[in-house]
Amino acid sequence: MDFRRAETTDEILSLLSELGPDAAILAGGTDLMVQYLRGEVAPRVLLHIEGVSELRGVRLVDDVLEIGTATTHRDVGSDHQIRTHLPGLAEAARQVGGFQTQAVGTVGGNICNASPAADTVPPLLVADAEALLVSSRGSRVVPLGRFLLGRRRTGRRPDELLAAIRARPLPSGSGETYLKVGRRGGMEVAIVGLAARVGFSGETITDVRLAVCSMAPTPLRLPEAEQTLVGTRGEPEAVAAAAAAILEATEPIDDARATAAYRRRLVEPLVGEAMRICRRRARGEEVAWN
Amino acid sequence: MELSFTVNGTKVAVDVPVGTTLLQVLRDELGLTGAKEVCTEGECGACTVIVDGRPLDACIYAAHAAEGAAVTTVEGLADGDRLSSLQAAFVEAGSVQCGFCTPGFLVMATHILSTHEEVSEDRIRRDLVGNLCRCTGYAQIVDAVLAAGRRP
Repeated sequence: MDFRRAETTDEILSLLSELGPDAAILAGGTDLMVQYLRGEVAPRVLLHIEGVSELRGVRLVDDVLEIGTATTHRDVGSDHQIRTHLPGLAEAARQVGGFQTQAVGTVGGNICNASPAADTVPPLLVADAEALLVSSRGSRVVPLGRFLLGRRRTGRRPDELLAAIRARPLPSGSGETYLKVGRRGGMEVAIVGLAARVGFSGETITDVRLAVCSMAPTPLRLPEAEQTLVGTRGEPEAVAAAAAAILEATEPIDDARATAAYRRRLVEPLVGEAMRICRRRARGEEVAWN
Repeated sequence: MELSFTVNGTKVAVDVPVGTTLLQVLRDELGLTGAKEVCTEGECGACTVIVDGRPLDACIYAAHAAEGAAVTTVEGLADGDRLSSLQAAFVEAGSVQCGFCTPGFLVMATHILSTHEEVSEDRIRRDLVGNLCRCTGYAQIVDAVLAAGRRP
């Protein structure tokens, strides 16, 4: 195996066009190195991008937040613009693994690793996130929901770099949250994760976006469930209908962390809790970070 | 493939295959056996070291990614025979049982104390979430970090 360190995006793209599928893009390595050490992946070249400063950081461009792919979870979780405009993403980033994972793990890595349990994906899906893919041939923008094709599968072509994620800021009068169920308060792979972005007019819900992880091969947006809540006040019957629609759209499995039955059981209380938190946050109340 | 970086202020150079972890280099090439190999998948924090100001799990960090970096391990915390205030607090609070997790906790807690003027019990417990103590002696560890945080 060879090791190549890139200092600029152009260097990454030229190495990717030369190496294609032989290269594995390495940032913090918190997923890739574990998979390598387990013998699950055997790249010919580790292409190290951690030192490429132009791929780190957050920018507000034309009312869209653009997050560099190599921005660490720690930096996402503490960034003022993200905490203001994408509070669900900030909340999720602070729940990826432990401190040591967050210190070097990146948002681009969390997406490209394509885990069914990727914490940062549900809050990005409720923010209409798009993946900016660049190669030496050009660039393209793909909705995040279409970029994730299955467990460990994305639409990234071998010569492409996921350079940044673009996401729509939380509109005023709306609240957002990411709720994660695990066995302890941290260092967890989600048993179920739920992101919600909810807009209100008075008490009535006018706009809802919901997305889950660990309920299907990829994290998913849930348009049918969203529709059941619009026009309601988030009363128990509406929450139950939304939960039923989520269960219709997902296929949770039994695994080492939890049974499918337990995952199904979590959905309704999580939707109810998300509606309560979003309502309070939409009013400007501080609701504690998880 | 050759690799050079700084460990606890000393420049080192090694030649190891790509894919070798930073922990393997520290322990097997440099004889710095303070950082422990336990889970080898970034779950337990026993191998925590600080690389360019970031605490990370050395067991899953590619050694060659540390080229040119400044690495601090548990061996770098004491000044000769003089324990750091955190290490002394661990001794006083009885924070060490089997001791296997201790180096990781010391390095992680050193980072927490060096990045906060004041540190609450809640902050300590949150930021130590990636360090596991199989003896479950968390209360004494948290007590020691709190005590060290109160010292000038």
